[in-house]
Amino acid sequence: MNAIVKLASLETKMFFRDRLSVFWTFLFPVVMIWLFGSMFVGDNMSQKAFAEYFVPSWIGVNIVTTSFFTLGTVLTNYRETGVLRRYQSTPLQPWKILAAHTFQGTVIFAISAVLLLVFGMILYDLTLPTYIGSTLLSLLISILAFFPFALFLTSLAKNAQSAAAISSLFLNLMLFLSGATFPLEMMPTVLQYAAKILPLYYVIQLLRGTWTEAPITEYGFEAAVLIGIAIVFVVLAVRFFRWSGK
Amino acid sequence: MESVISVKNLSKNFGVTRAIKNLSFTVYKGEIFGIIGPNGAGKTTTLEILEGISVPSGGDVEVLGLNPSKQLRELNKKIGVQFQATSIQKKMKVKEALDLFSSFYEGPTQKDYLIDLLGLREKMNVKFDDLSGGWKQRVTLALATLHEPEILFLDEPSMGLDPSARREMWSLIRLLRDRGSTIVVTTHYMEEAEQLCDRVAMIYSGQLKALDTPRDLLNEGVADCLAINSAELSREYLLSLPGVERVEHEQDEFKVYCDDQQTTAYHILTHCQEKGIRLTGFKFEKGSLDDLFVQYLEKEKIG
Repeated sequence: MNAIVKLASLETKMFFRDRLSVFWTFLFPVVMIWLFGSMFVGDNMSQKAFAEYFVPSWIGVNIVTTSFFTLGTVLTNYRETGVLRRYQSTPLQPWKILAAHTFQGTVIFAISAVLLLVFGMILYDLTLPTYIGSTLLSLLISILAFFPFALFLTSLAKNAQSAAAISSLFLNLMLFLSGATFPLEMMPTVLQYAAKILPLYYVIQLLRGTWTEAPITEYGFEAAVLIGIAIVFVVLAVRFFRWSGK
Repeated sequence: MESVISVKNLSKNFGVTRAIKNLSFTVYKGEIFGIIGPNGAGKTTTLEILEGISVPSGGDVEVLGLNPSKQLRELNKKIGVQFQATSIQKKMKVKEALDLFSSFYEGPTQKDYLIDLLGLREKMNVKFDDLSGGWKQRVTLALATLHEPEILFLDEPSMGLDPSARREMWSLIRLLRDRGSTIVVTTHYMEEAEQLCDRVAMIYSGQLKALDTPRDLLNEGVADCLAINSAELSREYLLSLPGVERVEHEQDEFKVYCDDQQTTAYHILTHCQEKGIRLTGFKFEKGSLDDLFVQYLEKEKIG
């Protein structure tokens, strides 16, 4: 147990040592909200309606960027530079490494989520989620689904470049097809179905829903899909953990 | 003597490449066992099989009574490994690394002892990436020995170190052996094998070529030589002397490899004295593992 706590706190501490990456990680989502705000807020959409639509979406997108770009990239780099290889000859088990990085990712994600929330409240009259307990629970499920999903997919990459390629592909697909940026209703039926294959769709349904409409109990199907993804990919990520790029 | 590692008829294939062919040896408790050979000879692959990271294609391997690739977790509690090309997190401080790796092992570690022994106290707050090569080696050596491992595997421990740092590294390794660890070390520096190892296995293209103490290897394998400088000596004359195996010749310098240095020296000196041949240099030279190595490689080419 001690090893997980030590590793988790060290990894988190080391993330904040890299000032530049801290700056960009937290600036990006806020800038995106501001950009979309200047596009959409106007005659058709009030500030509050915009915020209630886009802030939960971008919090969802942030789970994706954190899981692929922060966690996935870090572990791929560790795999390439032999950091994981070094662990392989100690009694440290793979699940502890994954758990420690999940903790690190959760801290980084939580900070950017709070930033988005505060930014939305100040600029666009956003209020706290109506069913705040449900929203927090939804976030937890989403993290547990996405972190192992991204950790497993990026572990298939041979090196940092291909991990970045995998990550960009998934991020872009999900950005445009999950309703995070453009409302799904604008899209052809085929794409609306395609959206439902992507896990981010369910995250965003849960977050938007619990923010304004109803508690999580009304979103049993969405929650179940994410829990299913979580179970499958935790098993895959631990079982097929790769210590080195070879 | 108690054996801690036993390897029988080990082989390892990577696709069609046969990296290791029918390798057998035993390592005894408390010795410094060297695995030497040129780059690409199969040293690191052998080490990785012993460490349980790599699965052998054939043969039997037993390390501390365990099957390394099948009982890796159990083995990892008892062994320490210093890899050739691994790193720890760049932004991790020395203090943090020692703390972290200590937490991987149950029970107390010899962290404080190692900090003093390796002189790490002054570097505790330095990030790993900011350390020089020699200090990095010290830190990774400390990480490998925190839990007082029964066997310590070192892959090219003095690679990239300057001569004085290399000597310090040797004395540290000897000290760790004296504290009870068995040490398996790979190197391509023959000098290192000669100075450091109790026994040496010489590997070339995945096969064991020789296995003995450095001294015995040298005694059997390499004829010692006489280094002579003279403008007037002929190679043919030197080769005609009894007991001379071969003569290397470059400009005025001759290297005469022979069974008995003293007798051959006597012949040459008498001959030169009688004929009035002028010698400008005359030296007894001990053969080194380097020479032995070259000799094996040459045999390989001829055979």
